[in-house]
Amino acid sequence: MTVKSQRSLWLARIILFSATLLILAPLVYLLGISFKPPEQIFANVLSPFSSELTLTNYTNVIETVPLLGYLWNSLLFACGVAIGQLLLALPAAYAFSYYTFRFKNLLLALVLLSLMVPFVVTYIPNYLLLSQFRLVNTLPGLILPMLGVSLGFGIFLLRQHFMSFQKEIMEAAMIDGATSWQTLVHVVAPANLSAITAVLVYVLINTWNQFIWPLLITGGREEAYTLTVGVQMYFTNPEGGNRWGSIMAASMLTALPTIIIYLLMRKAILRTFTEGAVKG
Amino acid sequence: MSQTRRQSLYMTEHGAAHERAGWRVWLRKLTPYFYLAPALIVIVVFVYLPLIRTVEISLHQGNLLNPTRTYVGLDNYIELITGKLFGEILLQSALYLLFAVIGSVIVPISLAMLTLQLTDREVDFYQSALFLPTVIAFNVVVLIWAFFFLPTTGGLFNQILAAFGQPPSDWLKDPLLALPSIALIANWKIMGFHFLLAIAGLKAIPKEYLEAAYVDGASGWQLMRRIILPLFAPTGLFILIITLIGAMDAVFTPIRIMTEGGPNNATNNLMYAIFSEGFRFFRVGQASALSIILIVLFGGLIYWQYRLFDRNVSYDR
Repeated sequence: MTVKSQRSLWLARIILFSATLLILAPLVYLLGISFKPPEQIFANVLSPFSSELTLTNYTNVIETVPLLGYLWNSLLFACGVAIGQLLLALPAAYAFSYYTFRFKNLLLALVLLSLMVPFVVTYIPNYLLLSQFRLVNTLPGLILPMLGVSLGFGIFLLRQHFMSFQKEIMEAAMIDGATSWQTLVHVVAPANLSAITAVLVYVLINTWNQFIWPLLITGGREEAYTLTVGVQMYFTNPEGGNRWGSIMAASMLTALPTIIIYLLMRKAILRTFTEGAVKG
Repeated sequence: MSQTRRQSLYMTEHGAAHERAGWRVWLRKLTPYFYLAPALIVIVVFVYLPLIRTVEISLHQGNLLNPTRTYVGLDNYIELITGKLFGEILLQSALYLLFAVIGSVIVPISLAMLTLQLTDREVDFYQSALFLPTVIAFNVVVLIWAFFFLPTTGGLFNQILAAFGQPPSDWLKDPLLALPSIALIANWKIMGFHFLLAIAGLKAIPKEYLEAAYVDGASGWQLMRRIILPLFAPTGLFILIITLIGAMDAVFTPIRIMTEGGPNNATNNLMYAIFSEGFRFFRVGQASALSIILIVLFGGLIYWQYRLFDRNVSYDR
């Protein structure tokens, strides 16, 4: 390599590294402030950490806010939507990748075009639908409309991965007497486990992080709040005093589950997204 | 492929009793529809029926409890388009899209280009690190930034201003600063995903092309202009389109929590206005008319992208 390209390589490294530091800085502050003693938060705002670390903010939040209840709601909500979407998307993607049938392209277009309808647009009619069936402020009301929202994305991503799967293996299974459902469950699904996991984790994280929709549907009943809504209500609730430490502690507790899942599943998630995008 | 598969399956069944085979063929023909039915029903009930309902509501006058009380034809649309709000939010939406193109297209693609000469391990590190903000709940993210944007002298950004001898600023209430501030948060949140897509697009460029050009003595700039950019164009276009479609959705939560569209509609946009008309002011007819206008605009955008992709492909050949 020439001296000049060596120099440009190091320049690229320096720019990328400082950009990454800047981008991750807000998360460092989130972590740091949550451990700062409440009275020291504004003592030196520019520094994310203080010399003295404390758990006061965490104990404070856990004592005043029913976080465990919110956590449970978030968990049911996220798992309900993720498992539901996967159960819907798996057979649909299977049909779209291995079968030829009438109206296939039309139905695929119907699925993909549903992604172009912004969630916001469906808020009012879905809210009306739910109130008709008295499902506002309930868990099923929270989950059901979310099942349809990004379902097309899961179907598309799984289809992309199924299509690159060796068809011969499938045919062999079918000739050996496996029904098409058995082939899906015992052959296709296990072979595409990493893509399926990625879709599941993506929907799980995305649902866990939903805020506006749970606010609309559960905003009227505190026992139904999800973590995101609960933290927000805690933030807006004017109790006076400097509560930034507690707010950051509550935020940390909300963010931690998704961060941990992401760090554990990082490889599968990143690979599935990049492969799906390139194939698409 | 499935043609040959079907044939081979038919052959194995050749000896089976005729009426049983006939029934089975029927069942096999219906199988894909059984697989699709649950997903399609959910999508129709929770996406397409609401869309039809939205059209219906947009042609009526009413409130959130009884949205279709009286039929008013296109009154909602006319009222909306001739009103003062529509022009303002159209302008603010366009302005916001400009910020989004910078923050969610140009910045992540430029950063991705910088990784071209890096080792796979380094690229993996940057991908993972920059993706982190996208997995954190948006309202949590907004709370962190709310702390940075505090209007008091103790606020982090105001402390930075003070370090440069500038007076403190009320970021989110200042008509000039509110939109860039909100844009910073939204783009920070989603940029990592677009960076990931850009890296994927770059990795899809065959290494041989780059090596061949390098051996032929192409300079870095020539390499970029003649090989990388043309081959990257479809990915770049894809990122641009998902940005244009997703940008207003991405900025929704910060607007809802921090500014509610203010000051003076400075941070309002088409998507937020649907929400605020419907759920804050209970003008569901207007909100639904806005929804339909937004979807028509998106439809046009997607059609344009489709045409552009078509043309790009034919240029290649």
